[in-house]
Amino acid sequence: MKKRGKGIACMVYPVGGTSYANPGSAFVKVNQDGTAVVLTGATDVGQGSTTVLAQIAAEELGIDYRAVTMICSDTERTPYDYGSVASRVTYIVGNAVKSAAGQAKRVLLEAAAEVLGVGHEGLETSDGWVRVKGFPERKMRVSEAAKRAIGVNGRPPTGSASFNPVTTLLDPETGHGKPYGSYVFATQVAEVEVDTETGEVRVLRIAAAHDCGKAINPMLAEGQVEGGICMGLGFALMEEMVLEQGRVKNDQFIDYMLPTVLDVPEIKVTIVEEREPTGPFGAKGIGEPSLLPTAPAILNAIYDAAGVRIRELPATPSKILAALKVGLARKDEG
Amino acid sequence: MDVEVRFTLNDRPTTVTVKPQTLLVEVLRNHLGATGTKLGCGTGECGACTVLLDGRPVNSCLVLALRVRGREVTTIEGVSNGADLHPVQRAFLEHGAVQCGYCTPGMIMSAIALLNRNLHPSDEQIRTAMAGNLCRCTGYVKIVKAIKAAAEEMAGSGRPSTGAP
Amino acid sequence: MTGFTVVGKRLPRYDGLLQVTGKATYGVDVSRPGMLHAKILRSPWPHAKVLRVDASAASRMPGVEAVVTAADVPRNRFGFTHLDQPVLADDKVRYRGDAMAAVAASTPDQAEEALQAIAVDYEPLPAVFDPLEAMKPEAPKLYGDSNVATRVTIQLGDLEAGWKEADEILEETFRTQMVEHCHLEPHAALAEVDERGVVTVYSSVQRPFLIASDLSSVLQVPMNRVRVVATAIGGGFGGKNELTMEPVACLLAMKTRKPVKVVYTREEEFQATTVRHPYILTYRSGLKKDGTIVARQVNIISDAGAYVSWGGWTLSKAAIHAAGPYNIPNIKIEGVLVYSNNSVGGAMRGFGVPQVAFAYECHTDTLAAAVGLDPVEFRLKNLLRDGGTMPTGQVLDRVTVIDTMRAAINAVDWKEVAGRP
Repeated sequence: MKKRGKGIACMVYPVGGTSYANPGSAFVKVNQDGTAVVLTGATDVGQGSTTVLAQIAAEELGIDYRAVTMICSDTERTPYDYGSVASRVTYIVGNAVKSAAGQAKRVLLEAAAEVLGVGHEGLETSDGWVRVKGFPERKMRVSEAAKRAIGVNGRPPTGSASFNPVTTLLDPETGHGKPYGSYVFATQVAEVEVDTETGEVRVLRIAAAHDCGKAINPMLAEGQVEGGICMGLGFALMEEMVLEQGRVKNDQFIDYMLPTVLDVPEIKVTIVEEREPTGPFGAKGIGEPSLLPTAPAILNAIYDAAGVRIRELPATPSKILAALKVGLARKDEG
Repeated sequence: MDVEVRFTLNDRPTTVTVKPQTLLVEVLRNHLGATGTKLGCGTGECGACTVLLDGRPVNSCLVLALRVRGREVTTIEGVSNGADLHPVQRAFLEHGAVQCGYCTPGMIMSAIALLNRNLHPSDEQIRTAMAGNLCRCTGYVKIVKAIKAAAEEMAGSGRPSTGAP
Repeated sequence: MTGFTVVGKRLPRYDGLLQVTGKATYGVDVSRPGMLHAKILRSPWPHAKVLRVDASAASRMPGVEAVVTAADVPRNRFGFTHLDQPVLADDKVRYRGDAMAAVAASTPDQAEEALQAIAVDYEPLPAVFDPLEAMKPEAPKLYGDSNVATRVTIQLGDLEAGWKEADEILEETFRTQMVEHCHLEPHAALAEVDERGVVTVYSSVQRPFLIASDLSSVLQVPMNRVRVVATAIGGGFGGKNELTMEPVACLLAMKTRKPVKVVYTREEEFQATTVRHPYILTYRSGLKKDGTIVARQVNIISDAGAYVSWGGWTLSKAAIHAAGPYNIPNIKIEGVLVYSNNSVGGAMRGFGVPQVAFAYECHTDTLAAAVGLDPVEFRLKNLLRDGGTMPTGQVLDRVTVIDTMRAAINAVDWKEVAGRP
């Protein structure tokens, strides 16, 4: 018989490494034509950090996204970064890029201020223009400001900055301290169908709601959640390295089961944007938390559907069948 | 003893001289420098090495170079015309179907093979056609969406797909 | 702040054009004319003394240009909290992924064949594969006189008082499995020495700056003489967070003055790279009749495998989050990291927290059922709110967990469950 059920799971997860300093840094320079180059040690492992950091630089400088060149992850030629770990790059390196771009922008605004006849603090940039705040008709191109800054004022627009979240070490006795600067939250609901004859579980739907602060790129943020759910589904139902005397028995994808496109359910992602005051444009992070609620939501749904509580991952058909048998035996006794 | 293999790679006549046990993926990546085709497992399980052989998708890690004699091989390098992307490539880009990108060339080749046969695939047909291509990053959601969008565009424009036999 | 022009936009990936055209250069795609290919010999034993490594026959094999063993590594230990892991095994092997030697040859096949000619004498030792067994006094030891690598404790409030306050106490034990990252691109690196004498490694890594500082340490060269460039990366998920083949690639390149490339096979990915730590988790919670959680004790046993790697930090992060997003006044969390002769636990997406999240959220449903509350109602009663406190004493603001719960249940119509009466 096929039985359906729903399960829910919530989570809290931090942004950044635990307790110890985990800084990121960036250099920014603006060319004479108003295009810009960002140098940073941050490394895109597929999560989209290069894109997000380019968006942050473009927003802060007030130029087009495609006017930003990213030079990343070269230990000789780019400034330090702790690494693409701990869901930290958007928050930490994003802050560094924003600050460095802000410094370069200040040089541009000071050059523009001389022309526009207001103090630099009365100016703002967007879409490639420097404008007087509240009087957008008075404006000059970012490229003109850059040309002037370099060619007339002799001050090339550059910036360099770093960011490190405010944390403390943990007390060795009590574990007390402030290990992280910021946290994100999420909930996922899974709906499953359990075949009580075969023990097989089909995940029908997952609804995921994640607070990642301001989503710098919602398409990439959704992609992180969808990918995390897929990895969480593998964790819940199929993935397991089997070792015999320390030797991995399933050392090929033939025997180590990864979720395929056929295993992935309908996924509905909601991004809850609670702006983080210490984050770049209110952003936090999303990479790792996306998979955390998936396995428990699925396992809770299996319990809801079939009345069996599987406490050892992965919840394979054989474990579910065994648990169903125990349940039936109990019923018979009762 | 080395053997000569003549075949057509991305519409260009190509000749390589290789050991008989050489695999197509090795010919492409190591002999011809066409590294767009990726190797993920070497056992035909992940689909990263998918190329089209006479228009049909194959795992190039399972195909001996000798077997492509006189046949047409299409790789990711052969599907776009300079900056003029194939609709599947464009859809992958615009719909966020790419994260690390390692599975992407294989995914795109499998998708093109599907759309060459069927310009109006259902979600189910897309899923079935893509079941041999693993992706560890995206959760496949945006990949399916991108293929659907590319199909609609291609069906609408009547644009012939690249890589057809 | 309003009116963003770039932030918040669904822009295509910066590197997307390269990716969809197959032009992105991943670690596996880096090549140089005349480069050598290196392969690494692995231990056939999970635990053994290494008596002798003789690579002289291998170095005379066809195509072989250099062989390196532990004797060639200037400082043969690395690690983050525990400096316990060798680049190439010297005194002992502690798991089957331990590297013994590396060969650089003109072709990968020649390098592979030469590995067979490396003579290693082992004295097999008793091994231990279960962290519970490994903690027993009579268990074979990987180091010194205890397999306990580290412990962590976090306490909040008064647990004894919490138990007294509780109307009901429930306990459950959960287990999680060993998981491999399975990034589709295997680890791959190419090392070369440039005309300045700087050794540059192009590697598929998530943390180039850590790799550079660790390389500087194991090779004993200044940081401005070793350069790490991260290539396009075909997935990481925490699996490309530490030194793997970079030291041997550098040593072989420095020895031969030729570029040296190493690519792991999928089998090596499974056998010789880090994994997600398997955890054994015991949850004990005290409840009031109305469903308020008043006390929680969590015990975590983490299988480190043969080296600590990120195991200590992973356990610490797991412990910090082990109570879940709940407002619980009395908490005690204890974790222990135990050496075994299994694969090495490292960093993997979520860093210990997916394991505890599985346990605490299944446990939450058990608690809800015990007091007859719907899982959502039970959570609403206990979830953290603004001003709530983590077990570390950190006070949180902007706590949105309830907002996310409302959004998720609205998206699926929580109450309406097909097949539920």
